[in-house]
Amino acid sequence: MSRIRSNYDSSFRARFRRYIRGEEELKDVDYMPLFKKQMDEERAEDERATEHYLVPPIKDPMEDARLYAEYSGIKWFRRLYQVMAVLLCVAICAVLIYNIAFMPGFGSEESPMNNEVSERYLSQGEEETGVTNIVTGLIISYRGFDTFGETHVLFIATIAVMILLKLMKQEKPVVAEGEEEGGDIILTTIARVLVPLIFLFGFYVLVNGHLSPGGGFSGGAVMGAGLILYSASFGFTSTAKFFNEKIYDIVKVGSLLLYSLLIVYNLFTGANGIASVIPLGKAGEILSAGLILPINILVGLEVACTMYAFYALFRKGAI
Amino acid sequence: MSEWIVFSFAAILIIGGLLVSLLAAFGLFKFRFALNRMHAAAMCDTLAILLVLLGLIVINGASLLSLKLGLIIVLLWFASPVSSHLLAHMEVIVSSKLKDNCELPGQEEGGSSES
Repeated sequence: MSRIRSNYDSSFRARFRRYIRGEEELKDVDYMPLFKKQMDEERAEDERATEHYLVPPIKDPMEDARLYAEYSGIKWFRRLYQVMAVLLCVAICAVLIYNIAFMPGFGSEESPMNNEVSERYLSQGEEETGVTNIVTGLIISYRGFDTFGETHVLFIATIAVMILLKLMKQEKPVVAEGEEEGGDIILTTIARVLVPLIFLFGFYVLVNGHLSPGGGFSGGAVMGAGLILYSASFGFTSTAKFFNEKIYDIVKVGSLLLYSLLIVYNLFTGANGIASVIPLGKAGEILSAGLILPINILVGLEVACTMYAFYALFRKGAI
Repeated sequence: MSEWIVFSFAAILIIGGLLVSLLAAFGLFKFRFALNRMHAAAMCDTLAILLVLLGLIVINGASLLSLKLGLIIVLLWFASPVSSHLLAHMEVIVSSKLKDNCELPGQEEGGSSES
């Protein structure tokens, strides 16, 4: 008969046997609460440290400069610096204002801006491009190649930012997943009223670009701002329901490719609205001015995508 | 004569708007704490612009341009207070010296009246 140890009842073996027989469930070992307590303390300490790290003591940036000036005896230099700054500012203002007197009058004929080029644009622009807003005709028809390059600049800038942000592997997104939902109620209420109006106005500016001040770039900027407002107030998940990365790729690349096609056609037919088969229509109507209206819409989509992409890329690291 | 009345009315409105924005600029540099400065800046965004644009509407008379100016007023009065509210919200969340500068709901009133 083997000797039973006095503490057998509480030993692991006895408890295990009882557990097998179904008399007792294995409970947490006694040191677990202690361990948990220690963990909690460590975590609280970590949090305190992080909090301290996150909100550094805000220091007046001028404090160092003031102390330095006081103790190194160069107080007079600061006085001189202030006086000289004001004097220099006044002198530059005086020179500039004096020079205004020699500038040609606003819209006068002797102005070097008014050469035969702008005269030609003003006199023949409406006839040749079919627009009533000469500026749009200028930047999309006469200088279409330039605008084409600008649109590519937007595209390449977004691509470069995406490459850089993908290279820097973010361990966690800037905006946590649960954090962004349920935005501020005031913002949400106002955004519900304003976002449709902003989109409508952006589309109006876009489509009306050849008739009134506006055009692709400004209309696209308005629409991009509307998208940003929407995603800022309702969160990225609800924005992704109608504008996720797939749709973004299709819209952005598709509009640039279509734009390229149109501008290549325009260049092949002599970079002039006259030789193109597409009718110019009657100036002043929405459906007129040949290629300018579709190009405006494509440029606007490109700009809107770029604006939203920059916002989304910098805020959460992806579109 | 009536032209002069309309013109002087518009001038009073525009000058009032300019004065308000001047006050706002003054307050922006006088106050030290972010929420106080925001209060001054928000006044410029709403009241000053309202007065200036109303003056322009009065000068212009009833036309499509006046309607557009009115829409600008409506848009600004929608958007500007909301953005101010969001900025203030952010400041309250982030600021570390909020307790030194303003009276929080939890605090007793005695402490703030002394300072």
